[in-house]
Amino acid sequence: MEPEVMWVNRGTWVFAGVCLVIGLVHMRLLFRERISLQGSMSYLGFLAVLGAMAVFPQTAVQVANWLGFTLLSNFFFCTAIALLAILHLRALVTLSRVQLRSVALTQELALVSERLDRLAKAEAQRSQSTP
Amino acid sequence: MRILIVIPAFNEEQALGGLLDEIREVKLPNADIDVVVVDDGSTDRTSAVTREKNVRLLRLFNNLGIGGAVQAGLKLAHREDFDYAVQIDGDGQHPPAEIERLLAAAADHDLVVGTRFAEKSFRSTLMRRMGSRWLRMILRVVGVRISDPTSGLRLYGKRALRLFSETYPYDFPEPESLSVARAAGLSLAETSVKMRERQGGRSSILGFAPLYYMLKVTLAIALSYMRAPRKPRSEEPWNQK
Repeated sequence: MEPEVMWVNRGTWVFAGVCLVIGLVHMRLLFRERISLQGSMSYLGFLAVLGAMAVFPQTAVQVANWLGFTLLSNFFFCTAIALLAILHLRALVTLSRVQLRSVALTQELALVSERLDRLAKAEAQRSQSTP
Repeated sequence: MRILIVIPAFNEEQALGGLLDEIREVKLPNADIDVVVVDDGSTDRTSAVTREKNVRLLRLFNNLGIGGAVQAGLKLAHREDFDYAVQIDGDGQHPPAEIERLLAAAADHDLVVGTRFAEKSFRSTLMRRMGSRWLRMILRVVGVRISDPTSGLRLYGKRALRLFSETYPYDFPEPESLSVARAAGLSLAETSVKMRERQGGRSSILGFAPLYYMLKVTLAIALSYMRAPRKPRSEEPWNQK
Protein backbone atom coordinates (compact mmCIF):
# COMPACT_ATOMS: atom_id res chain seq x y z
CA MET A 1 0.00 0.00 0.00
CA GLU A 2 1.38 3.40 -0.95
CA PRO A 3 1.83 5.82 1.93
CA GLU A 4 -0.40 8.48 0.33
CA VAL A 5 -3.25 6.01 -0.13
CA MET A 6 -2.94 4.89 3.48
CA TRP A 7 -3.07 8.52 4.54
CA VAL A 8 -6.19 9.11 2.53
CA ASN A 9 -8.04 5.96 3.62
CA ARG A 10 -7.42 6.08 7.33
CA GLY A 11 -7.08 9.77 7.87
CA THR A 12 -4.92 11.00 10.71
CA TRP A 13 -7.28 10.93 13.61
CA VAL A 14 -4.40 11.11 16.05
CA PHE A 15 -3.23 14.36 14.48
CA ALA A 16 -6.79 15.67 14.48
CA GLY A 17 -6.99 14.74 18.17
CA VAL A 18 -3.79 16.66 18.90
CA CYS A 19 -5.24 19.69 17.10
CA LEU A 20 -8.41 19.34 19.16
CA VAL A 21 -6.48 19.11 22.44
CA ILE A 22 -4.43 22.19 21.57
CA GLY A 23 -7.65 23.96 20.60
CA LEU A 24 -9.23 23.05 23.94
CA VAL A 25 -6.17 24.24 25.85
CA HIS A 26 -6.35 27.46 23.87
CA MET A 27 -10.05 27.89 24.68
CA ARG A 28 -9.28 27.36 28.35
CA LEU A 29 -6.56 30.02 28.18
CA LEU A 30 -9.03 32.29 26.44
CA PHE A 31 -11.60 31.97 29.22
CA ARG A 32 -9.34 31.65 32.25
CA GLU A 33 -6.20 33.62 31.40
CA ARG A 34 -7.99 36.31 29.40
CA ILE A 35 -5.66 36.06 26.39
CA SER A 36 -6.66 38.27 23.44
CA LEU A 37 -9.66 37.08 21.42
CA GLN A 38 -8.48 38.79 18.25
CA GLY A 39 -5.17 36.91 18.20
CA SER A 40 -6.90 33.70 19.29
CA MET A 41 -9.30 33.67 16.35
CA SER A 42 -6.52 33.34 13.79
CA TYR A 43 -4.77 30.69 15.87
CA LEU A 44 -7.98 28.68 16.25
CA GLY A 45 -8.53 29.08 12.51
CA PHE A 46 -5.05 27.66 11.92
CA LEU A 47 -5.84 24.62 14.11
CA ALA A 48 -9.21 24.18 12.39
CA VAL A 49 -7.58 24.10 8.94
CA LEU A 50 -4.99 21.53 10.06
CA GLY A 51 -7.66 19.49 11.86
CA ALA A 52 -9.94 19.56 8.81
CA MET A 53 -7.10 18.31 6.61
CA ALA A 54 -6.65 15.38 9.01
CA VAL A 55 -10.37 14.52 9.26
CA PHE A 56 -11.17 15.00 5.57
CA PRO A 57 -8.03 13.85 3.76
CA GLN A 58 -9.93 13.13 0.54
CA THR A 59 -10.93 16.77 0.24
CA ALA A 60 -7.37 17.77 1.08
CA VAL A 61 -6.09 15.53 -1.74
CA GLN A 62 -8.51 17.13 -4.19
CA VAL A 63 -7.44 20.63 -3.18
CA ALA A 64 -3.77 19.58 -3.33
CA ASN A 65 -4.21 18.17 -6.84
CA TRP A 66 -6.10 21.23 -7.95
CA LEU A 67 -3.25 23.42 -6.70
CA GLY A 68 -0.70 21.26 -8.52
CA PHE A 69 0.86 19.36 -5.63
CA THR A 70 1.82 15.77 -6.43
CA LEU A 71 2.34 14.79 -2.79
CA LEU A 72 -0.20 15.49 -0.09
CA SER A 73 2.58 15.90 2.45
CA ASN A 74 4.03 18.79 0.41
CA PHE A 75 0.64 20.46 0.35
CA PHE A 76 0.26 19.94 4.07
CA PHE A 77 3.64 21.45 4.92
CA CYS A 78 3.18 24.37 2.54
CA THR A 79 -0.22 25.13 4.07
CA ALA A 80 1.11 24.86 7.60
CA ILE A 81 4.13 27.07 6.87
CA ALA A 82 1.99 29.68 5.11
CA LEU A 83 -0.47 29.77 8.00
CA LEU A 84 2.35 30.00 10.54
CA ALA A 85 3.87 32.89 8.58
CA ILE A 86 0.52 34.72 8.69
CA LEU A 87 0.21 34.05 12.42
CA HIS A 88 3.74 35.35 12.97
CA LEU A 89 2.98 38.49 10.98
CA ARG A 90 -0.12 39.13 13.06
CA ALA A 91 1.89 38.65 16.25
CA LEU A 92 4.55 41.07 14.93
CA VAL A 93 1.94 43.73 14.16
CA THR A 94 0.37 43.33 17.60
CA LEU A 95 3.75 43.45 19.33
CA SER A 96 4.80 46.59 17.45
CA ARG A 97 1.58 48.36 18.43
CA VAL A 98 1.98 47.29 22.04
CA GLN A 99 5.59 48.48 22.00
CA LEU A 100 4.61 51.93 20.70
CA ARG A 101 1.88 52.22 23.32
CA SER A 102 4.28 51.08 26.01
CA VAL A 103 6.82 53.76 25.02
CA ALA A 104 4.15 56.48 25.00
CA LEU A 105 2.76 55.31 28.33
CA THR A 106 6.20 55.22 29.97
CA GLN A 107 6.90 58.76 28.74
CA GLU A 108 3.53 60.05 29.93
CA LEU A 109 4.05 58.43 33.31
CA ALA A 110 7.44 60.14 33.65
CA LEU A 111 5.99 63.51 32.59
CA VAL A 112 3.07 63.28 35.01
CA SER A 113 5.34 62.07 37.80
CA GLU A 114 7.70 65.02 37.25
CA ARG A 115 4.77 67.43 37.31
CA LEU A 116 3.52 65.93 40.56
CA ASP A 117 7.00 66.22 42.08
CA ARG A 118 7.11 69.91 41.18
CA LEU A 119 3.64 70.53 42.57
CA ALA A 120 4.55 68.73 45.79
CA LYS A 121 7.71 70.85 46.09
CA ALA A 122 5.77 74.05 45.47
CA GLU A 123 3.15 73.01 48.02
CA ALA A 124 5.85 72.23 50.59
CA GLN A 125 7.47 75.62 50.03
CA ARG A 126 4.09 77.35 50.36
CA SER A 127 3.27 75.58 53.60
CA GLN A 128 6.70 76.48 55.01
CA SER A 129 6.28 80.14 54.15
CA THR A 130 2.81 80.42 55.75
CA PRO A 131 2.85 80.16 59.58
CA MET B 1 14.09 83.13 25.01
CA ARG B 2 13.44 79.92 26.95
CA ILE B 3 15.75 76.96 26.47
CA LEU B 4 15.35 73.48 27.87
CA ILE B 5 18.50 71.37 28.02
CA VAL B 6 17.53 67.71 27.67
CA ILE B 7 20.04 65.17 28.98
CA PRO B 8 19.18 61.55 28.20
CA ALA B 9 21.08 59.40 30.68
CA PHE B 10 21.39 55.68 31.21
CA ASN B 11 23.70 54.65 34.06
CA GLU B 12 25.67 57.89 33.87
CA GLU B 13 26.21 58.56 37.58
CA GLN B 14 29.95 59.11 37.07
CA ALA B 15 29.71 61.83 34.45
CA LEU B 16 26.37 63.42 35.22
CA GLY B 17 27.27 65.43 38.32
CA GLY B 18 30.16 67.20 36.60
CA LEU B 19 28.06 67.83 33.52
CA LEU B 20 25.26 69.43 35.55
CA ASP B 21 27.78 71.64 37.35
CA GLU B 22 29.19 72.74 33.99
CA ILE B 23 25.73 73.53 32.66
CA ARG B 24 25.05 75.71 35.69
CA GLU B 25 28.04 77.83 34.71
CA VAL B 26 26.75 78.45 31.19
CA LYS B 27 25.48 81.99 30.83
CA LEU B 28 23.70 82.98 27.67
CA PRO B 29 22.47 86.52 27.00
CA ASN B 30 18.65 86.87 27.04
CA ALA B 31 18.19 83.19 27.73
CA ASP B 32 16.27 81.51 30.48
CA ILE B 33 17.83 78.05 30.77
CA ASP B 34 16.10 75.08 32.34
CA VAL B 35 17.59 71.57 32.55
CA VAL B 36 15.92 68.18 32.58
CA VAL B 37 17.64 64.82 32.97
CA VAL B 38 15.77 61.92 31.39
CA ASP B 39 16.79 58.86 33.38
CA ASP B 40 16.26 56.00 30.95
CA GLY B 41 15.61 53.30 33.54
CA SER B 42 19.10 53.47 35.07
CA THR B 43 20.09 50.95 37.72
CA ASP B 44 22.77 53.16 39.25
CA ARG B 45 22.52 56.52 41.08
CA THR B 46 21.67 58.61 38.01
CA SER B 47 18.34 59.75 39.48
CA ALA B 48 19.87 60.38 42.91
CA VAL B 49 22.67 62.51 41.42
CA THR B 50 20.08 64.53 39.48
CA ARG B 51 18.00 65.15 42.63
CA GLU B 52 21.11 66.11 44.62
CA LYS B 53 21.86 68.76 42.01
CA ASN B 54 18.28 70.03 42.25
CA VAL B 55 17.63 69.51 38.55
CA ARG B 56 14.34 68.45 36.93
CA LEU B 57 14.09 64.71 36.46
CA LEU B 58 12.02 62.61 34.09
CA ARG B 59 12.35 59.08 35.35
CA LEU B 60 11.39 56.44 32.79
CA PHE B 61 10.40 53.24 34.53
CA ASN B 62 11.51 51.11 31.58
CA ASN B 63 14.63 51.44 29.50
CA LEU B 64 13.26 52.90 26.24
CA GLY B 65 16.59 53.51 24.57
CA ILE B 66 17.99 56.88 23.53
CA GLY B 67 15.08 57.62 21.15
CA GLY B 68 12.37 57.19 23.76
CA ALA B 69 14.38 59.14 26.33
CA VAL B 70 15.05 62.08 24.03
CA GLN B 71 11.43 62.18 22.89
CA ALA B 72 10.25 62.36 26.51
CA GLY B 73 12.42 65.47 26.99
CA LEU B 74 11.22 66.99 23.70
CA LYS B 75 7.60 66.38 24.70
CA LEU B 76 8.24 68.28 27.92
CA ALA B 77 9.81 71.17 25.99
CA HIS B 78 6.91 71.27 23.55
CA ARG B 79 4.19 71.13 26.22
CA GLU B 80 5.83 73.85 28.29
CA ASP B 81 6.26 75.99 25.20
CA PHE B 82 10.04 76.33 25.27
CA ASP B 83 11.55 78.17 22.32
CA TYR B 84 14.40 75.71 21.98
CA ALA B 85 15.47 72.36 23.36
CA VAL B 86 19.12 71.36 23.36
CA GLN B 87 19.99 67.68 23.54
CA ILE B 88 23.25 66.87 25.33
CA ASP B 89 24.49 63.35 26.01
CA GLY B 90 24.75 62.41 29.68
CA ASP B 91 28.21 60.86 29.26
CA GLY B 92 29.97 64.22 29.28
CA GLN B 93 31.14 64.17 25.64
CA HIS B 94 29.46 67.44 24.85
CA PRO B 95 30.85 70.56 26.52
CA PRO B 96 27.81 72.68 27.50
CA ALA B 97 29.68 75.82 26.47
CA GLU B 98 29.10 74.72 22.86
CA ILE B 99 25.38 75.47 23.18
CA GLU B 100 26.16 79.04 22.26
CA ARG B 101 27.43 77.91 18.86
CA LEU B 102 24.25 75.94 18.25
CA LEU B 103 22.14 78.94 19.19
CA ALA B 104 24.05 81.14 16.78
CA ALA B 105 22.78 78.95 13.92
CA ALA B 106 19.29 78.48 15.36
CA ALA B 107 17.64 81.65 14.11
CA ASP B 108 17.13 80.41 10.54
CA HIS B 109 16.86 76.68 11.14
CA ASP B 110 14.57 74.20 12.87
CA LEU B 111 17.23 71.67 13.76
CA VAL B 112 20.92 72.35 14.33
CA VAL B 113 23.40 69.50 14.73
CA GLY B 114 26.74 69.96 16.49
CA THR B 115 29.39 68.42 14.27
CA ARG B 116 32.51 66.96 15.80
CA PHE B 117 34.62 65.97 12.78
CA ALA B 118 35.41 69.51 11.76
CA GLU B 119 37.61 69.82 14.84
CA LYS B 120 40.96 68.01 14.79
CA SER B 121 40.85 67.59 18.56
CA PHE B 122 38.27 64.79 18.44
CA ARG B 123 39.59 61.29 17.64
CA SER B 124 37.03 58.69 16.67
CA THR B 125 37.63 54.98 15.98
CA LEU B 126 38.20 53.80 12.39
CA MET B 127 34.99 51.75 12.34
CA ARG B 128 33.02 54.68 13.62
CA ARG B 129 34.47 57.00 11.01
CA MET B 130 33.67 54.49 8.25
CA GLY B 131 30.16 54.10 9.58
CA SER B 132 29.67 57.83 9.68
CA ARG B 133 30.89 58.19 6.10
CA TRP B 134 28.39 55.57 4.96
CA LEU B 135 25.60 57.28 6.84
CA ARG B 136 26.47 60.61 5.28
CA MET B 137 26.19 59.02 1.84
CA ILE B 138 22.83 57.43 2.61
CA LEU B 139 21.43 60.61 4.13
CA ARG B 140 22.56 62.60 1.11
CA VAL B 141 20.25 60.44 -1.00
CA VAL B 142 17.27 61.72 1.00
CA GLY B 143 18.59 65.28 0.86
CA VAL B 144 20.30 65.60 4.25
CA ARG B 145 23.77 67.11 4.21
CA ILE B 146 25.12 66.72 7.73
CA SER B 147 28.72 65.67 8.23
CA ASP B 148 28.18 64.01 11.62
CA PRO B 149 24.74 62.39 11.54
CA THR B 150 25.27 60.38 14.74
CA SER B 151 26.04 63.43 16.84
CA GLY B 152 23.83 63.68 19.90
CA LEU B 153 24.45 67.39 20.43
CA ARG B 154 21.46 69.08 18.83
CA LEU B 155 19.25 72.08 19.07
CA TYR B 156 15.55 71.81 18.25
CA GLY B 157 13.43 74.80 17.35
CA LYS B 158 9.67 75.02 17.88
CA ARG B 159 8.71 73.27 14.64
CA ALA B 160 11.13 70.44 15.35
CA LEU B 161 9.74 70.13 18.88
CA ARG B 162 6.21 69.90 17.50
CA LEU B 163 7.21 67.26 14.96
CA PHE B 164 9.32 65.12 17.28
CA SER B 165 6.89 65.21 20.17
CA GLU B 166 4.44 63.55 17.77
CA THR B 167 6.77 61.16 16.01
CA TYR B 168 10.33 60.23 16.81
CA PRO B 169 12.29 57.21 15.60
CA TYR B 170 13.29 54.71 18.25
CA ASP B 171 15.51 52.30 16.33
CA PHE B 172 18.41 54.54 15.25
CA PRO B 173 17.20 57.92 16.42
CA GLU B 174 20.09 60.23 15.51
CA PRO B 175 20.41 59.54 11.77
CA GLU B 176 16.75 58.58 11.33
CA SER B 177 15.49 61.76 12.95
CA LEU B 178 17.41 63.79 10.35
CA SER B 179 15.65 61.87 7.61
CA VAL B 180 12.26 62.39 9.31
CA ALA B 181 12.96 66.10 9.73
CA ARG B 182 13.91 66.42 6.08
CA ALA B 183 10.79 64.57 4.96
CA ALA B 184 8.67 66.91 7.10
CA GLY B 185 10.25 69.93 5.42
CA LEU B 186 12.21 71.20 8.42
CA SER B 187 15.29 73.28 7.83
CA LEU B 188 18.50 71.53 8.98
CA ALA B 189 21.90 72.99 9.69
CA GLU B 190 25.14 71.93 11.30
CA THR B 191 27.72 73.82 13.23
CA SER B 192 31.20 72.81 14.22
CA VAL B 193 31.63 72.04 17.92
CA LYS B 194 34.33 70.69 20.21
CA MET B 195 33.71 67.33 21.78
CA ARG B 196 35.51 65.35 24.47
CA GLU B 197 36.13 61.70 25.13
CA ARG B 198 33.45 60.00 27.21
CA GLN B 199 33.69 60.95 30.90
CA GLY B 200 32.16 57.65 32.01
CA GLY B 201 29.81 54.87 30.97
CA ARG B 202 30.21 52.73 27.88
CA SER B 203 29.41 53.26 24.18
CA SER B 204 26.66 51.03 22.84
CA ILE B 205 28.39 50.60 19.45
CA LEU B 206 31.62 48.69 19.90
CA GLY B 207 33.95 46.38 17.93
CA PHE B 208 32.47 45.13 14.65
CA ALA B 209 28.95 46.04 15.70
CA PRO B 210 29.14 49.21 13.53
CA LEU B 211 29.03 47.02 10.36
CA TYR B 212 25.73 45.46 11.38
CA TYR B 213 24.60 48.84 12.63
CA MET B 214 25.26 50.35 9.19
CA LEU B 215 23.16 47.74 7.44
CA LYS B 216 20.25 48.16 9.80
CA VAL B 217 20.45 51.92 9.87
CA THR B 218 20.46 52.12 6.07
CA LEU B 219 17.15 50.29 5.93
CA ALA B 220 15.81 52.31 8.86
CA ILE B 221 16.67 55.64 7.21
CA ALA B 222 14.94 54.65 3.97
CA LEU B 223 11.88 53.46 5.87
CA SER B 224 11.66 56.47 8.16
CA TYR B 225 11.92 58.84 5.18
CA MET B 226 9.12 57.03 3.37
CA ARG B 227 6.73 56.86 6.28
CA ALA B 228 7.53 60.20 7.95
CA PRO B 229 4.72 62.75 8.14
CA ARG B 230 5.29 65.42 5.51
CA LYS B 231 4.65 68.05 8.16
CA PRO B 232 3.83 67.96 11.89
CA ARG B 233 0.24 66.83 12.36
CA SER B 234 -0.60 69.96 14.29
CA GLU B 235 0.36 71.98 11.21
CA GLU B 236 -2.12 70.15 9.00
CA PRO B 237 -4.98 72.46 7.90
CA TRP B 238 -7.62 70.28 9.60
CA ASN B 239 -5.79 70.55 12.88
CA GLN B 240 -5.32 74.32 12.98
CA LYS B 241 -7.01 76.17 15.82
